Amino acid sequence: MIKNRLAKWVFGSTFVAAWLVPAIAFAEEAAAESVEWQTAAAKSMAAGLAMGLSALAAGYAQAKIGSAGAGTLAERPEVSIWIITLQALPEIIVLLGFVSAIMISG
Amino acid sequence: MTSSMKTRKTSPGGKDYGYSNARIRGMRSRLLGEPFLKGLTAAPDTSALIQDLSGTEYGSDLDEALIHGRTAASVDEALKNNLVRTYRKVQGFLNDEASYIVSTLLGRWDVFNVKTILRGNHMHLSAQEIADGLLPAGALSLVELEALTILGDIKAVVDTAVTWGLPYAPAMREGYAEYMRSGELADLELALDRYYTHLASSRLAGRGLNARVAREILGVQIDTMNLVMVFRLQKADLESVKVEEFFLDGGKSISQDLYNELAHMSDVDEVIDRLKGTPYGHTLDAAVLKYLEENSISVFERTLEDFHMRKALAVGRGDPLGIGIAIAYLWAKQNEVTNLRIIVKGKSVGMPMERVRRELILV
Repeated sequence: MIKNRLAKWVFGSTFVAAWLVPAIAFAEEAAAESVEWQTAAAKSMAAGLAMGLSALAAGYAQAKIGSAGAGTLAERPEVSIWIITLQALPEIIVLLGFVSAIMISG
Repeated sequence: MTSSMKTRKTSPGGKDYGYSNARIRGMRSRLLGEPFLKGLTAAPDTSALIQDLSGTEYGSDLDEALIHGRTAASVDEALKNNLVRTYRKVQGFLNDEASYIVSTLLGRWDVFNVKTILRGNHMHLSAQEIADGLLPAGALSLVELEALTILGDIKAVVDTAVTWGLPYAPAMREGYAEYMRSGELADLELALDRYYTHLASSRLAGRGLNARVAREILGVQIDTMNLVMVFRLQKADLESVKVEEFFLDGGKSISQDLYNELAHMSDVDEVIDRLKGTPYGHTLDAAVLKYLEENSISVFERTLEDFHMRKALAVGRGDPLGIGIAIAYLWAKQNEVTNLRIIVKGKSVGMPMERVRRELILV
């Protein structure tokens, strides 16, 4: 009876040692890998958003400036340099987005 | 012939005011300033005045008009042509919403022109004399107006307007019946005014800041018309006139009750006193002294017109991406042309420089 119980305990312990511990260890390793993957994915998404949203914002701003600039140029061509300068200003938003994206992903 | 208030044209769609307002600001920068106008009043004669004006926006219009001679009448023609051309140009690049609002507000010029034709026919003026008084800044084109001018008879004008389906035809037909009954042209004119104010009020009844701005200008315009009528009624025989019938609905501060009260007052002082609580009180009060000097109701008419002009110009200082910029520019342009016409007319009749300067509307 006692032997039987001991055998069961040994068998059980062996089973746990042989299967469960490696399974747990593997799961932990997998979890660590998953976190790394998720972090990498989140960084990529954040960088993409930083770049994409800043590009969209710059595009919106340039559309508005372009529309008003065209109106101004139709009546006052002499201020074309100012209009070109103003038209280019929103590009800074894209540059800032680009730098943010590099900092995030780096 | 088409009904022009309903006419659609190719223009930027939607509600983007960026392009049009920037363009209008560019045009506004070329408006003539007070120093230039005062300089013009000092011009020794019409030729010198033409020379000064040739270097401005009016140059090309002057070149065209002066083919008929370097006279004050030619200059006047050039100034009117420039105003009409500028209005058409602005309407050509406004977006759909702005175009709708502006065409509604400029409908007052159509009423003005139709009234001019009717008055001319009523007084048996020649077609040329009537045409000289026209200013096709509204939706009705010069061709349409000239075609109405040469008809030579009020009934023919009304019938033609009905045949063409002009927006004001129903009012003209209704007013004509009343005119035939009473023989008073005022009945026909009142029908036109009433139709326009009702039409414009309903067209501007929409929501939003731009409609509100336009409604305010229209409201002041209707108030002005009602108050001018109140002052004119001071000279009328109230026993034979039903004053309530002259009230135009849609004003901003002058209600029907207030109008009735004002119209039944015994003298101008009483009217001015009663108006003290309204936006017009202070302005009219300031004009009393001039009224006492000149003893003419036209002083108040002029004061109210200036008030309306100031209100219209003030909306240009509001939303930079709203309808106010266009409204303020159109009114400022009208003001400029009016001032130039005063100067030209003053020069041609030898009016003293100081008197011409006093007549200018410098707002």
